Amino acid sequence: MSWLTAWAGYLPQMMSGLGVSLMIAAVSIVAGYPLGLVLSLMVRAKNLAARTLGLALVEVGRGAPALVILYLFYYGLPKFGIAFESITAACLALIWNAAAYSSEIIRAGIQSVPRGQLEASNALGLSQRDTFFRITMPQGMRSAIPGLMGVAIQMFQGTSLAYGIAVPELMKTAYNIGSQDFNYLQIFTLAGLCYAVISMPATWITVFFEKRMARHA
Amino acid sequence: MTLSPPADSKLVPRLGIKLDNISKRYGDHVVLDDVSLHVEPGTVTALIGPSGAGKSTFLRCINLLERPDAGTIRVAGHTIEPGKAVNGRDLAALRSTVGMVFQSFNLFPHMTALKNVSFPQQRVLGRSKEEADARSMQLLERVGLKEKAGQHPGRCSGGQQQRIAIARALALDPSIMLFDEPTSALDPEVGLEVLSVMRELAADGMTMVVVTHEMQFARDVSDTLVVMADCKIIEQGDPKAIMSDPAEARTRRFLRAVLER
Amino acid sequence: MNAFTAVLEGLPLTVGLTLAAFAIGISGAVPLALGLSSPVVPLQLACRLFVDLVRGVPIIVWLFLLKFGIQIGTFKFNPVGAAIVGLGVVSVAYLAEIYRGGLQAVPRGQLEAAHALGLPRGSTFFRVVVPQAFRIVSPSIATYLVGLLKDSSIASTIIVAEMVFQSQSFARQHPTVEGILPYVIVGVVYIALSLPVAYLSRWLDARMRKVVHV
Repeated sequence: MSWLTAWAGYLPQMMSGLGVSLMIAAVSIVAGYPLGLVLSLMVRAKNLAARTLGLALVEVGRGAPALVILYLFYYGLPKFGIAFESITAACLALIWNAAAYSSEIIRAGIQSVPRGQLEASNALGLSQRDTFFRITMPQGMRSAIPGLMGVAIQMFQGTSLAYGIAVPELMKTAYNIGSQDFNYLQIFTLAGLCYAVISMPATWITVFFEKRMARHA
Repeated sequence: MTLSPPADSKLVPRLGIKLDNISKRYGDHVVLDDVSLHVEPGTVTALIGPSGAGKSTFLRCINLLERPDAGTIRVAGHTIEPGKAVNGRDLAALRSTVGMVFQSFNLFPHMTALKNVSFPQQRVLGRSKEEADARSMQLLERVGLKEKAGQHPGRCSGGQQQRIAIARALALDPSIMLFDEPTSALDPEVGLEVLSVMRELAADGMTMVVVTHEMQFARDVSDTLVVMADCKIIEQGDPKAIMSDPAEARTRRFLRAVLER
Repeated sequence: MNAFTAVLEGLPLTVGLTLAAFAIGISGAVPLALGLSSPVVPLQLACRLFVDLVRGVPIIVWLFLLKFGIQIGTFKFNPVGAAIVGLGVVSVAYLAEIYRGGLQAVPRGQLEAAHALGLPRGSTFFRVVVPQAFRIVSPSIATYLVGLLKDSSIASTIIVAEMVFQSQSFARQHPTVEGILPYVIVGVVYIALSLPVAYLSRWLDARMRKVVHV
């Protein structure tokens, strides 16, 4: 019972931390999805420079840990005179992360469109442009939906890393509360529950979509 | 390859197909070995033969879904020679005069039946949406599926999907129709729906090339039967004559195997 | 000391952490995957809840819980211990889910064929199902290992002196432009370490597609 009363006391602060986390996650996916689409187009572009740049952005965005990208933006870039607020740095790092992951998911989705669709489109005399934008892409994007939802969940959890650059999100809020009364077990359990309450149903919805789409494939 | 514009399209209302000395290989694997075939306008040609004979590949050469390594293709007044690039607009023009129906239907799953039939008309022929939809409804009615216009292909049976696919191909007013095993993915009775649509089309005088395993259809409907085996045409001529008395031992073996099933 | 050697000083811990957690993961996930595939509903639901809960909470929270929250008598986790256990438990959950997917992906016809042949349940599972499932999941396991390598960087937040921690302390001691170097280098090292595993994953994937037609 004492835990519940303690938690009730922490809740207002924790909710404002959660708000910051959700805000960063929202920004990172709202900007990350379209950028991911652009990157997936760049990676398959005919132009060598565009393709190389696209590949580099995707490989670094996926290959380097999110924490490293975060530190690079927050601690690294100011040394070149480019300084961000911690929350901006967190958003930028996660946008990059989200874009890189989304681009791979979109690319795989586009690749999963059956060959017959392309053949039918070609046989009808549709242009390459129409074939890509009206036939291939809508179908590819559709099969990318569960994966993209997964990226959203990953980004929400990834906001916890912004703790590392002192963004007042959920994790940092929990840590601050914990360092006042040293009841770490209580406060981090609450933090974990806050994350789980959002991540778990989101995962279930994703799985539901995945199953539904597998059935209709 | 190059495509010259139709030289005599105004003089000859219906156009045939002349494929000469077509060869195609994938790496070391020969698929077509010096194959020639002439199809007169307004006739139906049935292509039969064991799997792996190269029938589908040969059919796909007609609308350049496959590019042959050698040979000349004359289709609907266009001439294509290997070794020269084909510009995209010419290719699209050729393809819109040659309709194609696939074994696996290949309807666009994200569009309704109506949109499947209308969309290519709008984009390839530049018809307005109203014009295209009116034509689509006409064709859907002709294949007996007017009531499915608003449905997505996923909600239609295989036979219905294939008939919609035929309507989609016809909507571009092709002068030639290619069918690549159109009933192989269907249950026998459902296949009949599709075959009856094809019979009507043949009766209307459409130039058709059909790769098929439906021997009865080949015998009753086609004007010319072409038997392929081992990357070549081994025999061609009147379907009834070939079926009752094949000249080649290879044809006899194939026919016996098919008819005994 | 230059930035590169500073980063490399953390390499053994990064690799050690990753491999230790991976070892816990691949073995611990076996019973959990069996639970997830169990026909006994309460057991299946309990395993499902465990897996979803572990995956629903960010790794950093698990690490802080273990490092700061756990005190049993006089026992407290040291940073490396907390990191290994934390990353290990998270791996158990993720890998169990991968295993379960693999078991499910083995075609039903295989089971039916084995039953029809009268094979005992044990041989059906271990000689028919498991080898096929393993082929199906091996690319995903390799991909997960790459993810785990990157996630091990989170241990730096509980003062485990792995590569990212070393990068930070170097950067802190060099408040000039040079301070950006360790972050660039550490990023490159992670990518370089992932490449062979990513390559292996792609190879396994290609091989799997040849053997099992999915």
